[in-house]
Amino acid sequence: MTIRGKRRLLFIILLILLAAGFFFSLLKGPVPTSFKDFMNLLFRGDKTYSTIFIDLRLSRVLLAFLVGASLSLSGAILQGYFQNPMAGPFVVGVSSGASFGAVLSMFLGLSMTFHGFSLQSIFAFFSGFAIVYVVYLLSQRKGVFKVETLLLVGIAAGAMASSLTSFLIFLKSESFEQAVFWLLGSFTLSDWRQITAVAPYFFLSLIVAQWLAKDMNLLALGDETAQSLGCAVNRVRKIFLGIATLLAASSVSVSGIIGFVGLIVPHWVRILIGPDHRYLFFFSSLTGGIFLIFSDLLARTLLFPTELPIGIITAAIGAPFFIYLLNQSR
Amino acid sequence: MAILEVDSLSAGYEDGLVVKDISFSLKKGEFISILGRNGSGKSTLIKALQRLLKNVLGGISVDGEDIFGLNRRQIAKKIAFVPQIFSYAFEFNAMEIVLMGRYVHQGRLSSLSSSDSRIIEEVMELTQISHLKDKKIAHLSGGERQRVFIARALAQDTPLLFLDEPSSHLDINYQVEIYKILKSLQREKGKTILSTEHNINLVIPYSQKIIFLKEGKIQAQGPPKKLITKANIKEVFQAEVEIRENIHSKLPEISLIPEVQRTDETQSS
Repeated sequence: MTIRGKRRLLFIILLILLAAGFFFSLLKGPVPTSFKDFMNLLFRGDKTYSTIFIDLRLSRVLLAFLVGASLSLSGAILQGYFQNPMAGPFVVGVSSGASFGAVLSMFLGLSMTFHGFSLQSIFAFFSGFAIVYVVYLLSQRKGVFKVETLLLVGIAAGAMASSLTSFLIFLKSESFEQAVFWLLGSFTLSDWRQITAVAPYFFLSLIVAQWLAKDMNLLALGDETAQSLGCAVNRVRKIFLGIATLLAASSVSVSGIIGFVGLIVPHWVRILIGPDHRYLFFFSSLTGGIFLIFSDLLARTLLFPTELPIGIITAAIGAPFFIYLLNQSR
Repeated sequence: MAILEVDSLSAGYEDGLVVKDISFSLKKGEFISILGRNGSGKSTLIKALQRLLKNVLGGISVDGEDIFGLNRRQIAKKIAFVPQIFSYAFEFNAMEIVLMGRYVHQGRLSSLSSSDSRIIEEVMELTQISHLKDKKIAHLSGGERQRVFIARALAQDTPLLFLDEPSSHLDINYQVEIYKILKSLQREKGKTILSTEHNINLVIPYSQKIIFLKEGKIQAQGPPKKLITKANIKEVFQAEVEIRENIHSKLPEISLIPEVQRTDETQSS
């Protein structure tokens, strides 16, 4: 099959999966509802279950999609950026940094909103950015940009941020659920306000990423080659690092750390349609969104009525796959 | 008219200069080889000439324009570069790699135009890689991969072509093949070619001009017939050699003197 044919087929399959994901997610929840109830809401204007279907479940499935898409796009960008298929928002320390910022704002009792942004997500942004910036500076101090150093420093900085996060939570330890939320991720708190805290950044980032996708193809060959082919490497790198951080921080600030998504999804897509970033960015976003919708569905139904943190599901699927990939690449 | 004019160029990395006080010029359609030992600054020089390093001093004018006044896109329309072979993290196929040479001529969101396709097809034929276009770059042999990178540089459609040790890591048959391709590009496409190399004999038949680089400085420059002398080779490479005439090309050729024979010679003299 030609690569164009593969892309077309994958797109159709993903659309079907997306529709199925929405369908099951809307029908499934703690309150028993039937397909008929849903149809009644849709076609007869029966408002009995409108809060459940629209405000609880629709907002949740949309949020899961947006977070999955954001994390995967962030991962696809970072992997190209570092020319290393093992990179991801978690590896670079962004996710852990953002999570620390969010928890810190809670710890300080700063929960006000400001021009539609919660102070919490602003903290998440800045501490995510701060970690990336420090990691970035440390890894290119000698004027030469060392990818290995960057990954190691990123992992170390991430571990430090996570330990600080745990420390803050246990200092205040009024709620175990809070710790679980920030360290393992969850969509239990989803509402429309959270969607507006993710959606604009996701769409903005996707547009920028698509605009610079050819540049990313060149960057993936190394800086010198990219420059000699005409790419303004320094500027493009800054923009990509900025949006990758933005995507990860906005996701973490609404759903905590959901691991492995950003690392695994771009891999799947690359295996299916190749490494061309003009398609990789879009397909990673779509696939990542669908992956989190189904992961959330599993998290909600596996031990029904108890809800599992979604990070457990993504790690259970992602970690073995990651090991398989490592094994293959050797 | 000189297409490349280099005037007292010094360049290096943040911890110091590697090449110093380099001056030479290159006429349109010439083939120049920069020869020197490992660590003599060949790679630094070829990168500095395209302003790929931060620390570059002196004058470089390309096609009549000061390179320091040009942005990356403008430089990429004048000079195409084939770096030393290395492996990539992602499995692009040969066609995708060659296509990247068109980047500087394309709009950001535009797909392949008919003139792009025509050029891609032509350069892939020239470098004899048309049959490899769907193959992953990692699955190609060294010689095939080098041809893909040359095709990418040709797709860039520039008057100047720079190559950094194009024959390194290649088997001897591929080494000659690469230089044959370069020669045909010079002849048929009028390319001006600058290449670094450590295999002296390989470049003699193809180069109009040679530069010997030693410890970052030009030791000698000129046509191969003049430059390939016992004394020069000893000075630049610290190697004892004999110079003979190649029976086919009638050009000078160096032959290494084995250890045993050399001691014999010193005894007899």
